[in-house]
Amino acid sequence: MGEEGTEGTVHLLCLAASSGVPLFCRSCRGGAPARQQLPFSVIGSLNGVHMFGQNLEVQLSSARTEDTTVVWKSFHDSITLIVLSSEEGASELRLERLLQMVFGAMVLLVGLEELTNIRNVERLKKELRASYCLIDSFLGDSELIGDLTQCVDCVVPPEGSVLQEALSGFAEAAGTAFGSLVVSGRVVAATESWWRLGTPEAVLLPWLVGSLPPQAARDYPVYLPHGSPTVPHRLLTLTLLPGLELCLLCGPRPPLSQLDPQILDRWWQPVLDPLRACVPLGSRALPAGFPLHTDILGLLLLHLELKRCLFTVEPSGVQEPSPEHRRRLLRSFYTLVTATHFPPEPGSAEDKVEEAAQRTQVPRVCYLVSGPEEPGTGWRLVAVQVGPRRLLLLLSAQCPTHALRGLATHTLQALSPLL
Amino acid sequence: MAFPVSCASPHSPDELPGDPSSQEDEDCDYEDRVSYSGSYSSESSDYDDVEPEWLDSVQKNGELFYLELSEGEEESLLPETPTVNHVRFSENEIIIEEDDYKEGKKYEPKLKRFTKILKSKSLLPKRHSKKSSNGNEPVSILKHQSNQKTGVVVQQRYKDVTIYVNPKKLTVTKAKEQLKLLEVLVGIIHQTKWSWKKSGKQSSGERLVVHGLLPGGSAMKSGQILIGDVLVAVNDVDVTSENIERVLSCIPGPMQVKLTFENAYAVKKETTQPRQKKAQSNTNDLVKLLWGEEVEGIQQNILNTPHIVMYLTLQLDSETSKEEQEILYHCPVSDASQKLKSVRGIFLTLCDMLENVTGTQVTSSSLLLNGKQIHVAYWKESDKLLLIGLPAEKVPLPQLRNMIEDVVQTLKFMYGSLDSLFFQRALHPAKLHSGTSLSAQQYDASSAVLLDGLPGVRWLTLPREIKMELDTALNDLETADFAELSEDYYDMRRLYTILGSSLFYKGYLICSHLPKDDLIDIAVYCRHYCLLPLAAKQRIGQLVIWREVFPRHHLQPSTDSNTEVFQEPEGRYFLLIVGLKHYMLCVLLESGGCASKAIGNPGPDCIYVDQVKTTLHQLGGIDCRISEQLTASPSPCLSCADWFLTGSHEKLDSLTTSPILSRLPGTSKVATSPTCRRILFGDYSLKARKPSPSRSSGGSDNGCEGGEGIGLSPHTTPDAIWKQRESRGSDGSEESGALLKVTKKKVSLPNPFHLGNLKKNLSEKDLEIYNTMKLTSGPENTLFHYVALETVQGIFITPTHEEVAQLSGSIHPQLIKNFHQCCLSIRAIFQKTLVEEKKKALNRGDHSGSTNSVSSLNPVKEHGVLFECSPEKWTDQRKAPPVMAYWVVGRLFLHPKLQELYVCFHDSVTEIAIEMAFKLFFGLTL
Repeated sequence: MGEEGTEGTVHLLCLAASSGVPLFCRSCRGGAPARQQLPFSVIGSLNGVHMFGQNLEVQLSSARTEDTTVVWKSFHDSITLIVLSSEEGASELRLERLLQMVFGAMVLLVGLEELTNIRNVERLKKELRASYCLIDSFLGDSELIGDLTQCVDCVVPPEGSVLQEALSGFAEAAGTAFGSLVVSGRVVAATESWWRLGTPEAVLLPWLVGSLPPQAARDYPVYLPHGSPTVPHRLLTLTLLPGLELCLLCGPRPPLSQLDPQILDRWWQPVLDPLRACVPLGSRALPAGFPLHTDILGLLLLHLELKRCLFTVEPSGVQEPSPEHRRRLLRSFYTLVTATHFPPEPGSAEDKVEEAAQRTQVPRVCYLVSGPEEPGTGWRLVAVQVGPRRLLLLLSAQCPTHALRGLATHTLQALSPLL
Repeated sequence: MAFPVSCASPHSPDELPGDPSSQEDEDCDYEDRVSYSGSYSSESSDYDDVEPEWLDSVQKNGELFYLELSEGEEESLLPETPTVNHVRFSENEIIIEEDDYKEGKKYEPKLKRFTKILKSKSLLPKRHSKKSSNGNEPVSILKHQSNQKTGVVVQQRYKDVTIYVNPKKLTVTKAKEQLKLLEVLVGIIHQTKWSWKKSGKQSSGERLVVHGLLPGGSAMKSGQILIGDVLVAVNDVDVTSENIERVLSCIPGPMQVKLTFENAYAVKKETTQPRQKKAQSNTNDLVKLLWGEEVEGIQQNILNTPHIVMYLTLQLDSETSKEEQEILYHCPVSDASQKLKSVRGIFLTLCDMLENVTGTQVTSSSLLLNGKQIHVAYWKESDKLLLIGLPAEKVPLPQLRNMIEDVVQTLKFMYGSLDSLFFQRALHPAKLHSGTSLSAQQYDASSAVLLDGLPGVRWLTLPREIKMELDTALNDLETADFAELSEDYYDMRRLYTILGSSLFYKGYLICSHLPKDDLIDIAVYCRHYCLLPLAAKQRIGQLVIWREVFPRHHLQPSTDSNTEVFQEPEGRYFLLIVGLKHYMLCVLLESGGCASKAIGNPGPDCIYVDQVKTTLHQLGGIDCRISEQLTASPSPCLSCADWFLTGSHEKLDSLTTSPILSRLPGTSKVATSPTCRRILFGDYSLKARKPSPSRSSGGSDNGCEGGEGIGLSPHTTPDAIWKQRESRGSDGSEESGALLKVTKKKVSLPNPFHLGNLKKNLSEKDLEIYNTMKLTSGPENTLFHYVALETVQGIFITPTHEEVAQLSGSIHPQLIKNFHQCCLSIRAIFQKTLVEEKKKALNRGDHSGSTNSVSSLNPVKEHGVLFECSPEKWTDQRKAPPVMAYWVVGRLFLHPKLQELYVCFHDSVTEIAIEMAFKLFFGLTL
């Protein structure tokens, strides 16, 4: 991290659309939160151009300079979000989705009512402070990719069914249908109902749990941006093992105190070993010993219908480049592939006009060879789409170009049972 | 007019040694069974003339754009010739507009429009018809037939009178009231009340009947305007009493104005009727061309599509708070575009603010207008801002960016700098084109997406002998050693040095002696004027273009302070383009330096024009050989996508599930093995491409073709093969299946005799040629399309239109379209890489490794996408449509020189072949 030095600054501005009052500004430089802020005049004119256009029924959506991209988006005619990013590979797709996530996070913690009907700006500002932590995690380097793919980051536990059973039983005992096991922001197992949560909150809830400081238990009020934007629910979290948290989404009942250690013990003591095995899975996503080709440096598997994804950059032993670098490469590649070649995921908000025009020519595989001219340097990236699954691989330069497709298809077949 | 002295001296090309060859030319043309009579009659009249017929068209500023189509083509092609429409584009727009604004009160924008048109007219081709001996009057490309000398043709409804007007005089006398310009400026008196007749067509304005002539006025001096005549057009802008004043007020300075009159006693109804029709059809046609689709009421569409070109100043004069003062230029005036104009504040603010915040200039932005996404590209220069906004569905962003760069480059080439251009108000044919026609791809809609953005010129590889001939001809011209041009002859310094020339044939560059930058400048210029497609689609009777240009290559200040190094002379540069039939020869001339300095605005010099023309005549002899090359089989041969789509016939399943998978047994393997070896060695030296008979023997086309070829005699002409292919492509499965069977049989009988014979017959050279014919490895030819860009020489090669047309199929065109679109996005990625590389090269010193590209994918060197496609209309419900998969691969080579290659091939090829194909391919371009 921080390798980039001065490069890669992201500014996020949030303004009240009607008054133009800035609600908050968050900045991030080189992947870490920064204090540096845009001057007020700039914020004013950034908002001004957008407002000016809106008055004339022209929606300004984005602008690009040689190294910076700016994206405007207004939500419910009440909140305007502006992001200005000079990160390399910052595309509109990435920034637009970022804004959607940021707004989702605001609703999650403050509620839609407060945001669409601003009565007291100062109070809203104070309330929004609670979401800074979550929002900053979107701006900075994250190990997760759900903000970009809009799919839930998952891991595949070695003994999934056992955990699944324990979870369902526990959730039933606790009187809620929504329960999940989360390890460092990724879902290990979840109840049927939890999986059916709508797009923003399904990604946001585990993300929120992962971004909060570790605590033994929490009782956190949340609004669900999609399911219940105005009525808050309770998010109960219980730390089973360090890094492994149990989340429940419920109404006024049961109180946290009711989930006493006895119930926990009863359900979770028997599956302690499988639980332990999950903890190191966080960044690896796949169970140890899963056969993967040694050339694979990073992997992103998406299931576009289930809206789940597996994302790992440490499938095998440590090699160059660094995990951050790999993550960024895969993120960039995902953005490129999604923005230019593959059709957007079904159900996602973006409607690409150009894409719809030529459906007879369907892209299936896409690869990219990057790096200097010398052989054996740089890396290879390949994406395959088969049915609802899309696999993106980061491969080392040893892998010959002509083998990319075969390797990817093979890997996808091997991974298909997992997701 | 500041003509060089030599201009008046009589020359005619027939005195020069070019004559015999032109005779020859004629012969071979007749063999071609195409009538050249039009162009020839014009030329013969040309010889008789003392003055070349374009002489009168030379503008005050020395510029000339003279276009004359050969006769036969004009008549037949007039309605559907796209290029002609382009030339008269502004006119069409006005026609559309008129419909639109009939009831509106938007005079102000309309006025602007006229201004523009008037201005553009001064640069647009002069309509011009000449006396011709046999009475075949070539149809003028524009609306009316016009004739400089009214006496020649008797039965004439329209006459053109060129008069000199000077609006400067006007400013002294002050324009007082309306409807006086006509009187003051031109000297025609028209009284509104007197008009007794209204034309049925133009309800918006009365006809301008000449009621009297002002004594001493220009009209009277001309002696050709009679009382009772009706003024219908000024510089080809239709006028009525309603708009005449506005049109006239737009005349910027003293100039020759062409007035078109309807003769006093001509039958009015008959003339107006066809005219309107013609205009209508032209408009439709243009629109079709512009948007590549045919929809009812499409004129409305084009106006409703929001698009805009603006040139704004960022420095506002705070004292004069006039509205719209920041707009220096603004192009289409329609309701949809009005909106874009009204939000120009956004563009200005963004340009200013983002530069302050980020330190880099704004390049583009996107808007949503009426639910449509519109991209706006920016180009900032000093304190001015050029904007082009087009809907995203028509022009994707990468293309738009290339486009604005292109436009700026062309304008700079034509006018020196954007500033001088817009200040002189010397706008705008190019501008107009950039605004709307560019948006809208010309000529070949799908390929234009990509090809127009490439920094290169389409190159046609020719056999060495022809190339040699061309080189010699151009060299002869460039030495400028002809009698009248040698300095001894007149004992004075020559007027211009010829810097270099480049020769186009049917829009393909076939020979160039120009540096890359100049070549590209010229090519872009030609593209904007649609000259290249013009030459491709029809014969040019005669084309002479002359203008001062500002080539960036010569005008950029020398970075080297060393005086030893060659310094560009502080000269001026002129571009001379002469077109004849399918040829176009562009010559870049330099004055100053070792030639004499140019003074004022010199017009085209007859000697140079004649010399260039002579060169073209000389080349007439190889005309048919070149066009043979064009129509001959493609050099890396192509396959049609439809051949790979099987599945409709069950019969075949027993034989081979798909022709692709049918590896040919026996002989074909023997036959192809030398190929493979050759390919591995990679023969780079070979330039020549020849339709070699041996080509057909290689199993090179596709599964079935290859086998069959062996059975054929080595003298099979490619044409025969083509015919077979075509029949296969069109007649469909039944026949193809049958053929396949036959083929199979043939293949299974190895024929060592033939093969041995073949090998013996093949000289080493032929063998090489044969090997370069196929790009992909494996027994079948799986190549669908390719584009190879060589940036050092500034050329690219791609299959010719003829080749693509031969491969007609149901899917193939779609595939090609998709290929181009995909290449565009691949190229956008490559361009990022190039920018990155440039940056790296700049700060190599303080730069440690690849930290820069932590998050970006750069440097990208290869990018490929696999597509699957199936027939659009699949009627068989029982079965899934057959699917064909193909790759589109782009490859960027940075070393040893910058090259880009885009290929499209079938999925079945073993993928190691990609690299080989690349290598092989460059053997061709070198």
